Amino acid sequence: MNWLRQHAAAAMDALRHLLRSPGNFILNVLVVSIALALPFAGLSALENVRPISQQMSVEPEISIFMQLDASRETVQTMGKTIDKALKDTGTQGRVEFVPKEKAFDALKNKTGLADVLATLGANPLPDSYVLRLPGFGNAMDAGRVDTIASRLKDAPGVDAVQIDSEWVKRLAALLRILRLVLLFLGVTLGAVVIAVVFNTIRLQVMTQREEIEVSRLLGATNSFIHRPFYYTGALLGLCAGLVALGLVIAAQRPLNTAILDFARLYASEFQLALPSAMAVTLLLAVSALLGLLGAMLSVRRHLARAH
Amino acid sequence: MIEFSRVSKQYSRDTYALRDVSLSVQKGELVFLAGPSGAGKSTLLKMIAAVERPTAGTLTVNGQDIGNIKPSGIPWLRRNLGLIFQHQRLLEDRNLLANVMLPLIVTGASRGDAEKRTRAALDKVGLLDKALCEPLELSGGEQQRVAIARAIVNRPQIILADEPTANLDRANANKVLAALKSFHSVGVTCLISTHDEQTLTGAERIVYLDRGRMVEGWHNADANPEVTA
Repeated sequence: MNWLRQHAAAAMDALRHLLRSPGNFILNVLVVSIALALPFAGLSALENVRPISQQMSVEPEISIFMQLDASRETVQTMGKTIDKALKDTGTQGRVEFVPKEKAFDALKNKTGLADVLATLGANPLPDSYVLRLPGFGNAMDAGRVDTIASRLKDAPGVDAVQIDSEWVKRLAALLRILRLVLLFLGVTLGAVVIAVVFNTIRLQVMTQREEIEVSRLLGATNSFIHRPFYYTGALLGLCAGLVALGLVIAAQRPLNTAILDFARLYASEFQLALPSAMAVTLLLAVSALLGLLGAMLSVRRHLARAH
Repeated sequence: MIEFSRVSKQYSRDTYALRDVSLSVQKGELVFLAGPSGAGKSTLLKMIAAVERPTAGTLTVNGQDIGNIKPSGIPWLRRNLGLIFQHQRLLEDRNLLANVMLPLIVTGASRGDAEKRTRAALDKVGLLDKALCEPLELSGGEQQRVAIARAIVNRPQIILADEPTANLDRANANKVLAALKSFHSVGVTCLISTHDEQTLTGAERIVYLDRGRMVEGWHNADANPEVTA
């Protein structure tokens, strides 16, 4: 009970000092929130893009294009080669043979280029196979497709093998890089937050020097003296976190309009989603912890020196 | 209760604040520390509160060796002391109630209990009606009485007053001394430093210091009117 009372008194003391100079506090909150907004925005964007790399390649496809002059027999043998490759790698797959005539008809019907294609005289398309591989959970699994594709590439009569999960792999790799960049950015800006809070608390220790000295002489313990500064730091971090989240959410609305316009060009309705309640809680906790850490470092340094 | 045994405080090779002081103060005594400025009176009081530590000799307060007291033990020692400073050291941004309540708040007393005891302490020094005033609204004498209220609010065993009347006129100085003597009369041990000879009138015990040395220890239960002569 006494412990709780001491914490309540420290929190009230911190509030009392903040309310005495609200202008300074607000300015400090703004500085810290700007530092926090950047990694928050990056995290939010990454969290929105991550599912794309995880979901878009649930069924990777391998397209095997035969040579134009490949005999019908060679083309038929390729079907067996594919079955064998799947069996050898223990992979389930669906194979679809697309004869060159069918491909040519589809091209004519889909593109509306029938007149242009008619001028070619002969069918320029090869026979092909489309191999679908269900049960591949995410982009990380896409690497397994390479083994099958490389075996098929060396088969007789094959001109080219195309893996449609390549772009997903690239996206996953890009996201890994972005995540590292964001981590670096987060650490750097986290250090900025700690530095700002450190300096804020340093100034507060200086302005409250007399109060601290008198309290010590009256029997205050170090914990009693340090505690209000810890609350100030944590409160500064928390308020800055709230402002930073507000900034990110506010920026998301106009950004989503632009993203939606862009996504619709690719027949998608993709938009950035608001951070989840869990993410918001976590980000606010991190902000408060950064503030607390800055305050602890500052108090330990400056009060130890004063003592 | 307080035992100085050949205590010295040396700041540098040739600078001594106290030199070879031996002094014993019993529970309930009222001791005046007299001497000119720089005699070592403040240092002696600071040592009792563990603000300074002896560089030689032994000092015990309530059985605790000040020379070897751990930093974590100092707050607990000070909670049994009532400190009064020459320049009051009141917090100017807080009213009298909050200033006097501070020693109770640092011990974790509940707000209700602390306020009740604070009002009682302010009443004892005759300033209850000004509880919500800020220190700068008061005269020097009143500020010193607030400092006394702050010193006694946690019912200390020992009161240490460093030149409590130094900046006061005679009337206010007498009021402050009367307040301190009233606490002594209920069994509180008091050590009061002063360089004002008039303050020593009727003193039971006077310890004279000069350039860090104890030059005379004078003790008379009937008081000695010659001292002020």
